[in-house]
Amino acid sequence: MADESVPQPASPQELLATMRDLTRRVRAAQRGTWFPLLVFATITLLAIPVYRYAPYLDVFGTCRSRPDQKVCPTPSPTELGYWTVALLLAYTAIAAFYIRQSRRRGVGTPIRPYVVVGVVLAILMTAVSIWLTFHPVLPPPADPFSADPAQLEAGPAGWLINGLASPLAVIGLALLVLAWVERHWALLAYTVVYLAIGMVQGNHVIRSSSPWFFLPYLLVPAAVLLLGAAAFAAFRPRTEARA
Amino acid sequence: MTTEHPANSLDDVVHQRVRLGIMTVAHQARQVEFGFLRTTLQLTAGNLGQHLTVLEKAGLIRIEKGYEGKRPRTWVALTPAGEAALRDEIAQLKQLIQQVEQAEEGTVTR
Repeated sequence: MADESVPQPASPQELLATMRDLTRRVRAAQRGTWFPLLVFATITLLAIPVYRYAPYLDVFGTCRSRPDQKVCPTPSPTELGYWTVALLLAYTAIAAFYIRQSRRRGVGTPIRPYVVVGVVLAILMTAVSIWLTFHPVLPPPADPFSADPAQLEAGPAGWLINGLASPLAVIGLALLVLAWVERHWALLAYTVVYLAIGMVQGNHVIRSSSPWFFLPYLLVPAAVLLLGAAAFAAFRPRTEARA
Repeated sequence: MTTEHPANSLDDVVHQRVRLGIMTVAHQARQVEFGFLRTTLQLTAGNLGQHLTVLEKAGLIRIEKGYEGKRPRTWVALTPAGEAALRDEIAQLKQLIQQVEQAEEGTVTR
């Protein structure tokens, strides 16, 4: 009989301890933390040529021209289009990775809430960005050709709304959900640091006439994401790596 | 008025180390493959199969067989009754621990 082949535990404490240990092992087998970080690092790096070389498509008609000058007060719609598509493709790739891993390892995946929140935040980011184009946090200057945007202060509410429109913040907020579904304290701590770096960086306006002025905004988060992917891949539990 | 001792409320089908392990893994994993269960619980295929049969007959798990490529795969998932039974088992175990601790405290106080 099946029951006779295994020794019975001595106490309820032992049973609960065994259950906790099994739960921990299943969670380790379900994790694939390094992959989303690698995907986000990749799309952040791929954004560099888009920011530098993609033309400004004035689809919202916000640019003002005069014979010798053209001023476009809002971020490039091309960049917004890139991030929307890149984020949606990223979450598709992440979902496919987790499903494939789940089949290979033989355990179900809890990834659905993360992917759903990620996609919703990506769509929200696009919607907020378009809304901000027509309802800017800072009042548009009477003479757009003479205003220096770096001297204007948005205030805390403005930073919050701008944060929702920021793809890098949206990636970080969704990573909080991943930390929750994977019950991953290390990922939670990492995400808090990632978001803090993003906040500090977002509060610093780079004054430069270089066409590469945006590089720190992309290179710093990309480096943080790459380092995170490498660290989570290197330090994953043996059971997770083997499975 | 006397209350029933929590040990009497334990379900014999669930309150068994291997079957409790199967249900714990299936609960956390949502669905789990036979091979993962066998490796994690360190059982032979025959032994695991017997325990799965007991749980399936009790309506606590659902077994789905299929193929992935040419490989046969057996997936196990908890039924709603299985989820409820696991919740009850955990509650009873915690209650047992609490009663034992209270009894020990009473003995020390006396």
